[in-house]
Amino acid sequence: MTENRSLYALTAGATAAMLVAAWSIFVYAPQDALEGPVQRIFYLHVGSALAAFGCFALVLAGGIAYLWRDSLRGDRLARASALVGLVFTTNTFVMGMIWAKPIWNWDPSQTWDARLTSTAALWVIYAGYLLVRRFATPGRAAMRLAAVVGIVGFVDVPIVYFSVEWWRTLHPGPVLVTAGGPQLPPEMLLAVMVTTLAVGFLAAVMVAIRYRIEARRDELEERAVAAQLEPSRTSAS
Amino acid sequence: MRFLSIALAVARKDVRCELRGRELLPALAQFIVLALVIANFAFDVDLVQGPRLSPGILWLVLVFAGLVAFGRAFAAEKDSGSLEAMLLTPAGATAVFAGKAAAAAAMLVACEAVLLPAMAIFLGSPISPLVVGTVLLATIGMAALGSLFAALAAQTRARELLLPVLALPIWVPFVVVGGRAVQLAMAGQSPSTLPLAGQPLLVLADFDILFLVVACLAARFVLDD
Repeated sequence: MTENRSLYALTAGATAAMLVAAWSIFVYAPQDALEGPVQRIFYLHVGSALAAFGCFALVLAGGIAYLWRDSLRGDRLARASALVGLVFTTNTFVMGMIWAKPIWNWDPSQTWDARLTSTAALWVIYAGYLLVRRFATPGRAAMRLAAVVGIVGFVDVPIVYFSVEWWRTLHPGPVLVTAGGPQLPPEMLLAVMVTTLAVGFLAAVMVAIRYRIEARRDELEERAVAAQLEPSRTSAS
Repeated sequence: MRFLSIALAVARKDVRCELRGRELLPALAQFIVLALVIANFAFDVDLVQGPRLSPGILWLVLVFAGLVAFGRAFAAEKDSGSLEAMLLTPAGATAVFAGKAAAAAAMLVACEAVLLPAMAIFLGSPISPLVVGTVLLATIGMAALGSLFAALAAQTRARELLLPVLALPIWVPFVVVGGRAVQLAMAGQSPSTLPLAGQPLLVLADFDILFLVVACLAARFVLDD
């Protein structure tokens, strides 16, 4: 099937891109003077966080498309990206923990900082999104309710972030987007860009695969309904 | 005007149901007192610790009482099939939602009227007008979001399970800022001495406005069957 073949090609491309990212992380980028080799987690940590945000932005866009235009494709896209986004959020968390262990001497009670808390809220909200999909009546009701959760959740996360930031925070400040330009050595900057692009591409391919699975599943359901209708139609004729 | 009169009528109906049936409020009052008793044993509260732990205990009890109050508001309608009936009338879904949310907020205010004096008695919490104002301000936004997700969860299986999972993370801003505000108020610090971004009451008011708008916009899609 041609569509499957293009997905195989995309997967091969994502694998190649991730290998290039691995090279740029471990070979090209210089060692951090203070943190040593642990700092190399930074590249994948930032990359998968941005990929997760991208996925949740797709959930938002898909939800809006469904509510506004009744777009079934939008809903399928939201369904596919929510799952992939959740995977990348988990990924970000795990890598952040491994990084924080030697650097902050990680202790969860001491590190309720803004980004950690808002990412935890993000994770729980989109896990709830998938639960709504599971518990709602399948079909239109599930799509409608899930779209609302996806939209309200997306509004809530930055607010969680700012409310905790005004309280107290520990996370390093932004290093990529600052008033005086990026505050990273050029090699590190290039490595983080390459890694972010590679992880973003990987996430996009995963969403595409997931979208295809969801599309086939919808097709299967349509066929089941058609098969239910078919015998009555043949017996009538 | 039409919107307001429909919302008021729905809210009045809910309050009247509660006043006649007296189902939820006595149970919630009992729940609040029991929660304070449990907190008393769990934290081993004494006169020194009581006021220090009060802000946290206040928010814990309030959040869980809120989950019960908002969950019941829509679950009861769903069980008797009256939500569909209301939505079949020409009254808009948003107006019906606003009325239900207002009644649920009134229910939570009644809970607070039990909670705050009980805290002063059991834990020795310093309850000042500023504390009361902060809690009331947070109630508005919590009621808007809580009712939205209660309406959503009522349409699913396992709604008792789904409501806390959805509402608790969405309420985090109110708990963070409200918690901070109550801490400051209980410590007797005037909020006007703080920098603008640290003024929790203003931030809470902003959140209220934002989430009221979001909930009213989303309500149409949640209730539209």
